[in-house]
Amino acid sequence: MLDILKELIYSSGAVSLTAGNLVMWLVAFVLLYLAIKKQYEPLLLLPISFGILIVNLPLTFLMEPEHGLIWFFYHYGIEFDIIPPLIFLGLGAMIDFGPLIANPKTLLLGAGAQAGLYVTFFAAVLFGFDLQEAGSIAIIGGADGPTTIFLTSKLAPHLLGATAVSAYAYMALVPIIQPPMMTLLTTEHERKIVMTKLRPVSRLQKICFPVVTGMTIMLVVPSAAPLISMLMLGNLFKESGVVARLTNAASNELMNIVTIFLGLSIGATMTASTFLNPKVLFIFFLGLFAFVISTAAGLIMAKFMNLFLKDKINPLIGAAGVSAVPMAARCVHKVGSEANRRNYLLMYAMGPNVAGVIGTVVAAAILLKNLG
Amino acid sequence: MEINWPKVIEVFGSGILGVFLVMFLLQILTQLSTKIIDYIENGNKGGDLPPKSQTKEKS
Repeated sequence: MLDILKELIYSSGAVSLTAGNLVMWLVAFVLLYLAIKKQYEPLLLLPISFGILIVNLPLTFLMEPEHGLIWFFYHYGIEFDIIPPLIFLGLGAMIDFGPLIANPKTLLLGAGAQAGLYVTFFAAVLFGFDLQEAGSIAIIGGADGPTTIFLTSKLAPHLLGATAVSAYAYMALVPIIQPPMMTLLTTEHERKIVMTKLRPVSRLQKICFPVVTGMTIMLVVPSAAPLISMLMLGNLFKESGVVARLTNAASNELMNIVTIFLGLSIGATMTASTFLNPKVLFIFFLGLFAFVISTAAGLIMAKFMNLFLKDKINPLIGAAGVSAVPMAARCVHKVGSEANRRNYLLMYAMGPNVAGVIGTVVAAAILLKNLG
Repeated sequence: MEINWPKVIEVFGSGILGVFLVMFLLQILTQLSTKIIDYIENGNKGGDLPPKSQTKEKS
């Protein structure tokens, strides 16, 4: 009887617990708290934190190659590049490119914000990361979770957990990170600028946009194809108006299902041995740096464009060039309406905001081409 | 670890330039395609208008 009890104890995970596992439980509980209590990106942080918790229970072997349950989700979903493009399909089915089509100049604001990403690449190299790792860290500045996961899984898979959590955490913190940068880099007079009314966009223009844009990007940067093709297909579903069932499936059921697998797989990559590393702290710091510099680059780009434009744009909308949709646009609207109560910037900011999604994909594809 | 500075500068320069070129190209194409569609749609609307003589008869 005693032997059976002894065997039971020795075969349990409890005796194999390490201090690292306990620290990772703490990380998981903090993220669970942020997801449930503070509602910071709960759709992703909740499965991520649960993934961290269960993968740090010894002897469960959930991430054991060829055997573990979550390893299969990770291997076929992320390593095979299935999940991030499917998220983009759902995103495309939800995005309205109307404000961007009405004001195509805002595409340049989406490009401007990506400049911060390359500055961070430079900084990450100086911090001692290799080129592939630096590319994966820099993309956090694009504030686009699926693109960050897509690029990191190709360039530096060992950093996947840290870069993904960093990207989603900073996206959730947009209302805290961006306003100080906006007020620092713009004058009161600039924040008060009221923009001219957006022109109406016809249904045909909205249908043509995903076709023309998708083809152009895939011809110029073919490595962007997995993400951009799905984004534009989802948008074509929506704008065509003839496949409501597919639009609903892509933006609801499919999106929700892949979000569960994505969150769980990302969380499960964060074992004590990979996550408790001084490099991870640097990744979080550089991620924040990337986000701040990208916001600043968008604002500066908008101010630069104003030097040449007859109808001035409110430079605040440049901050929406980071692609955190729609949080960045909402944040711009809030800061703008604080300066001028009659200013309604939300629709104007949605243009650079969705341009930021396209810009981040293009930037990731160029990084992949150069470093992959 | 030795840093491969020529590669870093290449990635940095080609990245910034590449993103701006692609987005600029998209801007031009979007402006062009919307103008063409506007022209076609306005043309169609013009074509749909009833002839002046008929309008007068109705009134």
